[in-house]
Amino acid sequence: MEVTRRQLLASAATLLLDQWSRAHCMADPSRRNTERKVVLVLCGGMRREDTFANSGLLNIPHLCRDLQPKGVFYSSVRNNGVTSHFNTIASVLTGNWQRLDDWGKLPPASPTIFEYLRKAMRLQQNEAWLISSNKALTSRIGASEVSGYGPDYGANVIFPKQLLINAVVHAASQGRAVHSTDRTTVLPEIEAILNSDNYDGLGWSIGEDPSTVNKPALGAIQQAIEDLIRTSYPVTGDEFTFLVAAEVIRRFSPSLMVITYSDMEVAHFGSYSLHLSGIGTVDRLVFELWNLLESLPDYKDKTTLMVLPEFGRDFDGSTTNGFFNHRQDGESTRSTWMMCLGEAVRHAQIIEDPVEQTSICPTIANLFEAKHLNLPGQILPGLWL
Amino acid sequence: MTDRAAAAELASYRAVIKRLPITLRASLNSQLAEWDTLFPFERERVQGFFRGVVSLDAQAFQALFSPLRDLEGKMGVANWDFSVSENTIGNASLLARSANYAEWREQVSRIYTAVQAAAQSSQKPSIPPARLIVAILPDNLPYEPATLWNKWGGRGVQLSIDGDAARITELLLRGPGSIPGVLQKQGSSDRSDLWLIDAGSALAALSEKQNAAASLSYSALRPLTDRILAQVNTVPRSIADTDETLAGIRNQDWSPYCTPEFASQAQLRRFLIDLYLSGNGALIFSNAFVEWAASEAIRRSRPRVLFARFGMRALPKPFTGIAIFENQQRISALPDVDDPHGSAVDASILARYILLAAERYPESGQTEFVCIAESAKRAYVVVPQASSYGWTDATHATPEQIAQRLIKHLLAEGAGG
Repeated sequence: MEVTRRQLLASAATLLLDQWSRAHCMADPSRRNTERKVVLVLCGGMRREDTFANSGLLNIPHLCRDLQPKGVFYSSVRNNGVTSHFNTIASVLTGNWQRLDDWGKLPPASPTIFEYLRKAMRLQQNEAWLISSNKALTSRIGASEVSGYGPDYGANVIFPKQLLINAVVHAASQGRAVHSTDRTTVLPEIEAILNSDNYDGLGWSIGEDPSTVNKPALGAIQQAIEDLIRTSYPVTGDEFTFLVAAEVIRRFSPSLMVITYSDMEVAHFGSYSLHLSGIGTVDRLVFELWNLLESLPDYKDKTTLMVLPEFGRDFDGSTTNGFFNHRQDGESTRSTWMMCLGEAVRHAQIIEDPVEQTSICPTIANLFEAKHLNLPGQILPGLWL
Repeated sequence: MTDRAAAAELASYRAVIKRLPITLRASLNSQLAEWDTLFPFERERVQGFFRGVVSLDAQAFQALFSPLRDLEGKMGVANWDFSVSENTIGNASLLARSANYAEWREQVSRIYTAVQAAAQSSQKPSIPPARLIVAILPDNLPYEPATLWNKWGGRGVQLSIDGDAARITELLLRGPGSIPGVLQKQGSSDRSDLWLIDAGSALAALSEKQNAAASLSYSALRPLTDRILAQVNTVPRSIADTDETLAGIRNQDWSPYCTPEFASQAQLRRFLIDLYLSGNGALIFSNAFVEWAASEAIRRSRPRVLFARFGMRALPKPFTGIAIFENQQRISALPDVDDPHGSAVDASILARYILLAAERYPESGQTEFVCIAESAKRAYVVVPQASSYGWTDATHATPEQIAQRLIKHLLAEGAGG
């Protein structure tokens, strides 16, 4: 990826966070509630044969060569729930298999790890974030409505990709194609969305007063967008999600950060090469994330990074059209893997015994030593817990 | 059959449906509602199903359907907002979210297998005709001959083509003794016996008897595709609203966006709309369109011959990389830039998916499959088990020899038995 494009996306990410924090009256934290950190990365649907099988290792050079030797690798992780995005992510976050409306109209039916931790540890909202590329999610993923828990204990939820998609689609719907020659007509679209109130689909409100954006920041985003439009390279949603997540990490040092990536979900439209390209992007971004965490004093030696696909995808020859979908009740779809790196790892190893994705929630609670919560599900083996 | 007799037949089927478990009704009622646009094979299958059900005595009927009724009770289906008149996303969502979904699928599969067996036992066996599927990876997609077929599983024979590989398709579709003529001589009377599915327009250009084939060209259908894509992208994030929007699209008159010839083919028009609304990238990428159309054509019409020709995809443009479900031409005025390597990867796996789709059905026992990689001058041929042409991986053959061999297969009665 060319440097200039990364810089301009980073500028956009910075502005996004500026606006978010102003709208939510968030000051940069002066006091940390906890030293320990957990970052959980969920990566859409990726089959074993396209990742951690001999045929797939070339797609994930960083995960298999740079990261796996440092961590605990769970080679048999089961998704025993509904293999759709909202249900799977909600199941991982709650430790209970969720059977919800796939469109994210309903909140998780049991409390999320965000709620458990924020309530038990009295964490502020800026200690818990979910940043997602996945258009199948809604902001309801951040908290249940269970009595005693609920949105008051939920996470900040941001969908950075939606910001760009909606800006571009909106521009097109007004009859304005996105082209370097008419970028002046697109700039206002993106600025309008950045400055709009209660923007539908983003899951947050931002300040009404345009002056809340300081001039240097506005200048940076304008330049960024202008460059973005001029570039002839494709922009991936996951790249932008990563940069927003990195900005949150730098600025707020949250205790618990969940990131979901979805570039590989182009598989639904039937391009295997673009699907593999999405897997390659995630491989690179996870490696960059790990290096970032290792470089920050607030995170180095205090952070456990967990990385896993939400599920596999359907097998070649299935009635559901193979890699396109993730609907089959079979091994190719339900059986996947997970990697844990960092503070909770005592020594690198491969654990072949099957574990379930619902073990992640109680394991994270234990990592924060919130053991009194007695959450359902077994704790993952192989960590210091 | 007279209109009156046909109406009586459908009425008798509807009466049978009312006796079946709730979750079976939507699919059957949908097919009856679309009776006029079903392919001959689909009609025969529906008729076979009802023939099988009717052949069951009361005890056998009870034994077959009670387990599913009991399961529906356990699942609480009676309390669901479950449509019995048509398949909906709402129905699919309710079933998929049930904790008993896997068990439900098993029960449905068991019932269909048993009913099919009952139907077949009351019918005279017929000689199955020979069938042919030709997948074409066109000349502008680059392939390495040495690794081209690595993922194909070793079931077929890898031929080297001595000459212009594109000539094979030409010989199969054009001139004396070509496939359209063969099918006509063998009494084929329905377009769905021969499918020409194309990312571009090469197959239609080659075909001399276009009215003898079900012909779908992604590029020729582009005005219609763009219209439907624009409507699909208005689908709101709600199951009920989505079903409503999709039903609206299904029932809309799309004739103004079709060529007159295509607009006059009700069966094919319905097939295409169903195809678009069932996802799988048919609205977005030409190669996904080709694969999914071929798979659905095989499933729904069991053709004698199907051609599937893949093509070139453009690189994702700035912005459209994050909004892939949008119409890239509309979003970005930048010129398209071909992605030959990505397109080659896509076309190769999707051609294999057509073979895998065909292998799901009993007709594969009579089907010969050939995938032609024109740029590499290679072909991968899977023949029915009982057939052997003496071809091996070391075989070199001219386009004429290959085309002759494929046509000879079609002329054989009960090929591969």
